[in-house]
Amino acid sequence: MKRILLLRGAELIVFAFLATIPLLVVNPYALGLLTLLAIYGILLIGLDVTVGYLGQVNLAHVAFLGLGAYTAGLAVTRFGLGMAPALLAAMLVGLLLGGLLALPALRLEGPQFALATLSFAALSTTALNELEGLTGGAQGLSLSRPPVWGHVLTPPLFYWLCMALLAVVWMLMRNLLASQWGRAFEALRDSPIATDAMGVGTYQHKVAAFALGSSLGGLAGGLYAFNFQYLQPQSYTYDLMIIPLLGVVLGGRKSLWGAFVGASVIVLLPNLLSNRHLFQIFSGLGFAMALAAGLRGLVKKTTRPFQALAPVVAMGMLVVGGFFVENTEDWRKAIFALMLFSVVVGLPEGLMGFLSIFLAKLFRVPQAPLPEPSDIETILPPRAADGAPLLVLEDLKRYFGGVKAVDGLSMTIHSGSIHGLIGPNGSGKSTVVNVISGLYTPSSGRILLRGAVLPSGSLYQVSKSGVARTFQNLQLFGELTALENVMVALKGVYRSPLPLVLLGLARLEERRAQADALCLLDRIGLKDQALTKAKDLTYGAQRFLEVARALARKPDLLILDEPAAGLAHPDVVQLIEIIRRVHKRGISILLIEHHMDVVSELCDTVTVLDGGKVIAEGPPEEVKRHPKVIEAYLGQPVQTEVPGGPEPLPA
Amino acid sequence: MNPSIIGQMAVSGALMGLVYALIAYGFQLTYATSKSINFGQGELVMISAFFSLTLTNLGLPYWAMVPGGLLFGAVMGLVVERAGVRLALEQKSEGWILLTIIIGLFFFSTAENIWGRDDRPFPTPISADPIHIFGVDVTRLELAVAVGVLGIMGLIELFKRRTLLGKAFEAVSADRDAAELMGISATRTVMLSYGLSGAVAALAGILVSPITTVGPTMASAIILKAFSVAVVAGLDSGFGVVLIGMFLGALESLSSFYLGSGWREAPGLILLILALAVRPTGVFGKAVIRKV
Repeated sequence: MKRILLLRGAELIVFAFLATIPLLVVNPYALGLLTLLAIYGILLIGLDVTVGYLGQVNLAHVAFLGLGAYTAGLAVTRFGLGMAPALLAAMLVGLLLGGLLALPALRLEGPQFALATLSFAALSTTALNELEGLTGGAQGLSLSRPPVWGHVLTPPLFYWLCMALLAVVWMLMRNLLASQWGRAFEALRDSPIATDAMGVGTYQHKVAAFALGSSLGGLAGGLYAFNFQYLQPQSYTYDLMIIPLLGVVLGGRKSLWGAFVGASVIVLLPNLLSNRHLFQIFSGLGFAMALAAGLRGLVKKTTRPFQALAPVVAMGMLVVGGFFVENTEDWRKAIFALMLFSVVVGLPEGLMGFLSIFLAKLFRVPQAPLPEPSDIETILPPRAADGAPLLVLEDLKRYFGGVKAVDGLSMTIHSGSIHGLIGPNGSGKSTVVNVISGLYTPSSGRILLRGAVLPSGSLYQVSKSGVARTFQNLQLFGELTALENVMVALKGVYRSPLPLVLLGLARLEERRAQADALCLLDRIGLKDQALTKAKDLTYGAQRFLEVARALARKPDLLILDEPAAGLAHPDVVQLIEIIRRVHKRGISILLIEHHMDVVSELCDTVTVLDGGKVIAEGPPEEVKRHPKVIEAYLGQPVQTEVPGGPEPLPA
Repeated sequence: MNPSIIGQMAVSGALMGLVYALIAYGFQLTYATSKSINFGQGELVMISAFFSLTLTNLGLPYWAMVPGGLLFGAVMGLVVERAGVRLALEQKSEGWILLTIIIGLFFFSTAENIWGRDDRPFPTPISADPIHIFGVDVTRLELAVAVGVLGIMGLIELFKRRTLLGKAFEAVSADRDAAELMGISATRTVMLSYGLSGAVAALAGILVSPITTVGPTMASAIILKAFSVAVVAGLDSGFGVVLIGMFLGALESLSSFYLGSGWREAPGLILLILALAVRPTGVFGKAVIRKV
């Protein structure tokens, strides 16, 4: 409670202070800067959705600023609309075009995503320039603020409007990003494959995130138009393409305060540069800070030498340059570049990320307490295992070019059983899992779940049908906590529609999700580490967390893909115990494993694959003695006449 | 429409497209070894062109200026690698996208202040007189571009195939970890690729400057098209960039003729977005199987 009060209090104080400024100071120039701060604040909050939460370098945001500005401008000049409808139109254009751009950009990551957005930005500048009939082309477009309720918006009034909108955007985004939506965005960044496999849907969320961020870009554009009352396509080119991006990084990603700090820097920087004396003071301060931080990092060995020294060199260049350069404003871009370079290298979390650690130490704010875990009986009610066929594979094939990874596999997993799938390396086990779970489309054959055809080629659809899986190569959401990893996957908890989430009216549901997730973490013995980031957990704990996350899907069939790979012996014992407990809830399990002891201890039936084909099937003890199995594992023909029969496979 | 005019536009466009192909080839070099590209490559083209212009103005003959310019480009490429790429690669993050943009911004501002904001002519001993081949006029300058582009690409490919260092380069491109285990330093190979990529960018600057003039923004349009070529062809497609580069150059030249010069960039950009949407690995790129 104390934490919430502190955070909300800080927000309230800052906004109240900003709101009272026009009453205290009558300085049109300062007011202009503050108005711009509010507009950039909205712009950066929108950009942070893609850059911070989705983790993609988005260069198209400036295009939405420009398109929004022109939409608002044209709405007023051409169609005589009022301010509110014009702003709404600007937002809508951002939303629609953002969604449209997200469609082709969906499959892209990293550099390809950056390039696609870069092209879109260049294309929209071209369009604004060349559609002279509509936009006036290079001539520009003049407009004036339409009156609101008969009042002409004076600068202070317009400033209040911008601030009020920033406050509203701030509140709505805070609610959204703290909900399942925000978690889904982050999950998407860390592992798109697992996001789909947990039934969250990368598709919808990526489009939603991009469209949402772009609509804020459009809104900022509308305000931008009414602020300057004159638009030119050139205003939205390279310069402005990079500066908001850098603002977000400088301020700190995934943080509303970060966006605000970034916006302040962007707005204040040109003024800082126009005064040489001020510039020297600030660059000196920056140098001292970089030096202190760098030395501290070097001595404590927390940073690499390059990471410690590069910011010092960059800031040093600023200080030296400050003495030699006649007009600092001419070097605006270089100065910005050096500052950013220092921040990106030295403070990857941005100014706010750095400050928040510092502030948290200063105030010692306790974490909000977690709710009591829910009862396992309500989350995973025990189901009757009737022994009927649950999952049936019929002549399943998957070829990669000429490689027959799975070559005509037929297999039946019965409800309530633990079915083992073993085989030497390269026998096609992983491919089978990937085909069942929808990562690969089968080349031919059918998969039936309770008699109905399982959707093929879509992790998301398969997950929705009641099959959950873990990953041999861990696919956890590293930046999310253990608790959040499970919360992302929780099925059947999130029911509130988007508007309620935006208004912050979905808290109860959030509480319930926490309680449910905590219960599942308790089952795997990770309750005490619920708030640890997944990437900071021990290797064994990460493997268990994969299981808990898959359980959150409340599946009919749980596929465990080599859950014991790389585990130390005590962890293997714990894993067996965990799998037993899961099985007791009536969940059927397909276990892919290398460890023979795990398989023999747990499985009712074992299928052995070699070369993509079934070579044996039956109870573990029987399969172990099967000559073909021994041949596949040990690679020697078995002499059947040897007295006493072949030795059982070593565990 | 007169077919000879169309042919003329297509040929000049295609020759210009070879410059895009050359810059795109530079992207391929670094992408092969490190899965990263320099988003500030346009600034590298520009700053190398300015440097070469200064060498010429100092009185160096053309044949001595070109190696000087290439060397400068290679050094700048190494600077980008050291300052912007290496740390991010070590951390397995995509921070290099931002850092290379930032370094490009720095180069831009530096060039603007050292050499000024105006466009300047770039002297060259190669004449701009047209030669008549197959009913189309081609200038010697344009032919020099073609020879230069194909020449350096051929040389680098030979180097990759025939020398031990080149084979190390190929090994790191194929499998970085395996190459490291065989005693090849991946870091040095990445440095080599950035050096080569910088030299290639410098050559592109030197070749294109006599046609476009030299100025701080000379490469901002070119680089967009080089991105398009690299992505449409596929970032690991080898000579695919030459075909796509010539195609895009011709397309651009024709569309600026039919749609107006303001739209000349549009087809390339649309093509890029479409290519990414339909086939993210490019027309000539290899499809990747997702593994988990």
